[in-house]
Amino acid sequence: MPKIRLDKLVKRYGSLEVIHGIDLTTEDNEFTVLVGPSGCGKSTTLRMIAGLETVSGGEIYIDERPVSKLEPKDRDIAMVFQDYALYPHMNVAKNMSFALRLEKRPRKEIQHKVGEVAEMLGLEKLLDRKPAELSGGQRQRVAMGRALTRDASTFLFDEPLSNLDAKLRGQMRAELALMSQQVQKSMVYVTHDQVEAMTLGQRIVVMQDGHIRQQGTAEELFKRPNSRFVAGFIGSPPMNFLDGQITRRGDVAFIEGEGFKLSLPVELAQRALKHPRDTVALGVRPSDLVPAEAGSSDALLLKVLVSEYIGAQSILLTECGPHKVSVEMNSSAPVALGQPLHCSVQKDGMHLFDSETGLSI
Amino acid sequence: MSRETTQGTGANPAFYALMVVLVIMAMGPIMLMITTSLKLNVDVMSDSARLLFMPTMQNYETVLCDVLWYDPAHVDYCDPTFGRALKNSLIIALVSTAITLILGTMAAYALVRFRFFGRGTISMTTLMMRMVPPAVLLVPVFGIWTFNFGLDGTYSGIILVYVAMNLPFVIWILQSFIVQVPIQLEEAARMDGAGPFQVFFLVVIPLIKPGLAAAAIFTFRIAWNEFLLANALLDRNTRTVPVTIVNSLTEYDIDWGVIMATGSLLAIPPIIFTFVASKQIITGMTAGAVKG
Repeated sequence: MPKIRLDKLVKRYGSLEVIHGIDLTTEDNEFTVLVGPSGCGKSTTLRMIAGLETVSGGEIYIDERPVSKLEPKDRDIAMVFQDYALYPHMNVAKNMSFALRLEKRPRKEIQHKVGEVAEMLGLEKLLDRKPAELSGGQRQRVAMGRALTRDASTFLFDEPLSNLDAKLRGQMRAELALMSQQVQKSMVYVTHDQVEAMTLGQRIVVMQDGHIRQQGTAEELFKRPNSRFVAGFIGSPPMNFLDGQITRRGDVAFIEGEGFKLSLPVELAQRALKHPRDTVALGVRPSDLVPAEAGSSDALLLKVLVSEYIGAQSILLTECGPHKVSVEMNSSAPVALGQPLHCSVQKDGMHLFDSETGLSI
Repeated sequence: MSRETTQGTGANPAFYALMVVLVIMAMGPIMLMITTSLKLNVDVMSDSARLLFMPTMQNYETVLCDVLWYDPAHVDYCDPTFGRALKNSLIIALVSTAITLILGTMAAYALVRFRFFGRGTISMTTLMMRMVPPAVLLVPVFGIWTFNFGLDGTYSGIILVYVAMNLPFVIWILQSFIVQVPIQLEEAARMDGAGPFQVFFLVVIPLIKPGLAAAAIFTFRIAWNEFLLANALLDRNTRTVPVTIVNSLTEYDIDWGVIMATGSLLAIPPIIFTFVASKQIITGMTAGAVKG
């Protein structure tokens, strides 16, 4: 049974429409991530599910029950906020038990529940502290604890890790993944960080300008992006794009642009030749570029500008005609700045996008 | 103390001279009031030996004869005026403070958080009330209270005026405190299942305690010290202490000792109130709530 179903959901601020009728279905116990650049409407969508924003059109169903007119407390959801939003006048235990105390649950039960969650999150020793006496990571954990004590059927996360420093973010991300396995609840998570989205999400929903562009598993989005936007957004470092034209010589189709000419694999060539437009963009991930023999005809001739050493791998920023191309290479391979470098594209590494619509070919 | 810090403020003798002048200006009248309250009328009036006198509690005994557990020997007739006035002052000041705070907090919250027609105008014009001098309001208020509502000489009449007088400023102060409460806290409380009133009382009120304390001190002291309106609107039985003091200046007899003793006693409740309330004024109430 679908857990949360958005049916042509619309949000307008006055005459400005920011969410343009999106449809989305998430399954029970699924970890769904809404990801997109700033201002794409992901947080607004989450806040509408939470009930903090009114719905301008369409409907939200939780367990097939329409909820768009209900108060947040009647939707059986808990939420973790980007900037924690802990009650500063209450200690950690009081913060975590706030919802239970509002429901007037018996004291024994509250104590038990708080203790249980505190143990899971490693907060036992901090229960008497006030939020001001906690570090950023601890505060974030308390904010999660507050949501977990609720026993709600769905958890919403609004960029919960974006206020933490890089190292702590990685650590909390792992803890969050572990927690989501333990509690087995439906989760909807909003982030602008595609790494977070890829590592946490079972279903990743890529949004742009109030539309859902593509949804699927991390692998589906990475390997088969349906548009140039998704291709460029998912994956780090981002995909390279080279503008060119489809040409045909005998049985072989080529993509030819300023400073490069590559033959297309058969399957891709068939699709490209059927496509009504010749002008396309070739997308190649930096990890799909591999060094080729000098003089190889079916390769890109690149000029290395910068080499960024990041450990086992190095990112080379190179030039191919007017295009900037980044290449991910094993750090042990010798590379000289300013020198030409021949790279061929790995099998299945080529993506073609329509130059006007940006859709995948 | 390091040398620099002491040098910074202490090197200039003019600084000390200024401080001494300021202290004398501030403390002089109070010292004069207290010393006079400890003198007999003979000492008050005599030209000589101003600083040397036998301190006496007689004036205080005269003022407090009504509430003392013994009958002071020097008092022939015990005047209950002061005891009554003190009670009146306390009731009027406390009740008007309480009502002002309750109405003021809710109004300020509504002005900050709710979007409604005319919100900006109301927010801007609340302070206009304060611009009108109370003396100007006196005549119309006296007329309306006496002839239309029959509120003259009642507690409710004067409390109503004090609430109206203080409300704008209290709303103005509290608005600035409520603005500082992060909206995410209220949203978090709503997600946790709190209704509008629970959000207000369990989350907002505890966080604006410093503002409430400041507003309470302000309101209490105005209501406690106010003379003009109290003099016009109250009668014999409901008069407050400031009015009583002025009324004891008669054509035939001015008992300076008793007046000063009353004045000294008058100063005590606001001091206590301010001490209690100012304990609540701590900064950084919302520290740790959200990432700054």
